[in-house]
Amino acid sequence: MEELTSIFVRSVFIDNMVFAYFLGMCSYLAVSRTVSTANGLGIAVVFVLGFTVPVNYLIENYFLSEGALAWLGPGFANIDLSFLSFILFIAVIASMVQLVEMIVEKFAPALYSSLGIFLPLIAVNCAILGGSLFMQEREYANIAQASAFGLGSGAGFYLAIVGIAAIREKIKYSNVPGPLRGLGITFIVTGLMGIAFMSFMGIAL
Amino acid sequence: MKDSNTYIFLYASAMVIVVAAVLSTVATLLKPYQDLNIEMAKKLDILRSVEKAERVAEVDDRNAYIDGEYERYIVDSYVINHLGEVQEGIDAFEVNVREENRKPVDQRNLPIFVARDDDGSENFIIPVYGRGLWGPVFGYIAFEDDYNTIFGVIFDHEGETPGLGAEISTPAFENQFKGKKIFDDAGEFVSIDVIKPGTVPLNEHRVDGISGGTITGNGVDAMLEDTLGSYVAYFRKQKNVNHE
Amino acid sequence: MSKTDKEPLFSGKNIKLLSTPLNDENPITVQVLGICSALAVTAMLEPAVVLAVAVIVVMGAANVIISLLRNTIPSRIRIIVQLVVIASLVILVDQVLKAFFYDVSRQLSVFVGLIITNCIIMGRLEAFALGNKPWPSFLDGVGNAAGYGWILIVVGFFRELLGSGNLWGYPVMETLGVYNFGYEDNGFMILPPMALITVGVIIWVQRSRNRKLIESQ
Repeated sequence: MEELTSIFVRSVFIDNMVFAYFLGMCSYLAVSRTVSTANGLGIAVVFVLGFTVPVNYLIENYFLSEGALAWLGPGFANIDLSFLSFILFIAVIASMVQLVEMIVEKFAPALYSSLGIFLPLIAVNCAILGGSLFMQEREYANIAQASAFGLGSGAGFYLAIVGIAAIREKIKYSNVPGPLRGLGITFIVTGLMGIAFMSFMGIAL
Repeated sequence: MKDSNTYIFLYASAMVIVVAAVLSTVATLLKPYQDLNIEMAKKLDILRSVEKAERVAEVDDRNAYIDGEYERYIVDSYVINHLGEVQEGIDAFEVNVREENRKPVDQRNLPIFVARDDDGSENFIIPVYGRGLWGPVFGYIAFEDDYNTIFGVIFDHEGETPGLGAEISTPAFENQFKGKKIFDDAGEFVSIDVIKPGTVPLNEHRVDGISGGTITGNGVDAMLEDTLGSYVAYFRKQKNVNHE
Repeated sequence: MSKTDKEPLFSGKNIKLLSTPLNDENPITVQVLGICSALAVTAMLEPAVVLAVAVIVVMGAANVIISLLRNTIPSRIRIIVQLVVIASLVILVDQVLKAFFYDVSRQLSVFVGLIITNCIIMGRLEAFALGNKPWPSFLDGVGNAAGYGWILIVVGFFRELLGSGNLWGYPVMETLGVYNFGYEDNGFMILPPMALITVGVIIWVQRSRNRKLIESQ
């Protein structure tokens, strides 16, 4: 249990998807105009990450990696399907996103229209695929750890996007030079937030 | 019609079959070529760690040149375990370091390659494997025949950030390792530390990391500690033999 | 551009498809697509150029394929179809390179994941190729990839020059001898947050020159 908490906290703060690895930037920058849409996208990302990482964990360990098919019988023990990992991971992610899209469209039409093209784009949100690839790379011992990592990364993204949305709502009242207004200042503020988050780097937990 | 469930189902199935067929055909057909490339790259890395095969960019028949150099300089190879005992019946070149790295230390097969230069001096080359920021980092470390001083290293990586972590595979970083020692004067194993540039004074057990590539640098540090650590028993044995 | 005037392939409308993404509809600074890779590869100039070229190739091809398939793709699984097309294309190219151009592949393998998850490709498939004929889709793909590429190259140029004093690995600052006057490389420039700030400054410059892009409060 202690280990799970540690993985979770690590992935929220120290290995934050947005500020430590700079993944998931596109939707982060584009859908952070107001706190409420940021909130919606954040929850969607937590959901998608929390689901796809464990599913891809199972696929990786019982299907793709060398020797993973041994449960089918000794004849399958030497098959290595890892060249398919990209495409299978992304297929799982895309189907999850499509599912989320249908759910949001049905139950929260207002959110659906404000997310616009960025809902389908969660599928290519690098934070999501990044989550699965990090999972593969870090070789978590069991599915609980993988889930803790997925949820933690999602929560980290949520924290980041709601944070920048709150700052952007405040910036509206400041006198930003015209050409820098909106996107420009958001890039710069994100850079500064990233520098701040770098101070978490190297903390051992 | 386009949105009927049957159509979607059929479309998805057809797509999966086509894609799977194309990708696996290509993967199967190209596998022999890819394996040959990987084998050549491995031989080249081993040779480069002892500063051989340096004309590889100029020669016409690259593979023949690498094979020739490999035959000429790499005179022996064997596999040991963590206690330093030689394991019979395993081909060192075929050992998959990535797989070995996943096993607990006491079950690993540890390959060693022996290079003999034209003047008869010998170097012992061991493969190292670890994790950087985005993926595996790996390389070969050549020791002088005192089993302590590093003769040369080669590092490579799969996906470290260009300009930051990826700098570990540049001569600027690799050359720092030349002449460093992994045992201290009292004979204790200390590995080589990759430090944050400028934080602690350098000595014969430390090299400068890469600014902006801290996580990759830490990966290299951990890789050296871990892999070299598993060879310590064997190195000690050999040193004692040499002393007597 | 083609000078044979009766060529309808490069009609004014088509040229626009190619040119607007370079400025007015720039994928990075206006449409906010493909940011992650812009941060990952721009610490040096060379990888920035390599990725720019790779994206142009993949995007042109993916746009054409999706555009050819556009009337058959069921809308409910379109995301999966698009991603499968992109991913198979990239894997295919990577496998072929691995077999016959191993050195190139070693350089490019870093970018394989970045290309697949580059939202600029998927974004243009979704927004353009799904509703247009192959030729305009191809132009749109190439135009957007080029618009994306030049930002990457500019950012890479400044980060490598100011961060490590080199350009394409060549020690420019040392050759100019500015270190003798007490100049020092700004190591901060090669860290990822500075890429964000550099892009922010590019947006600033671009919008001061092109005032119709300024966002209203």
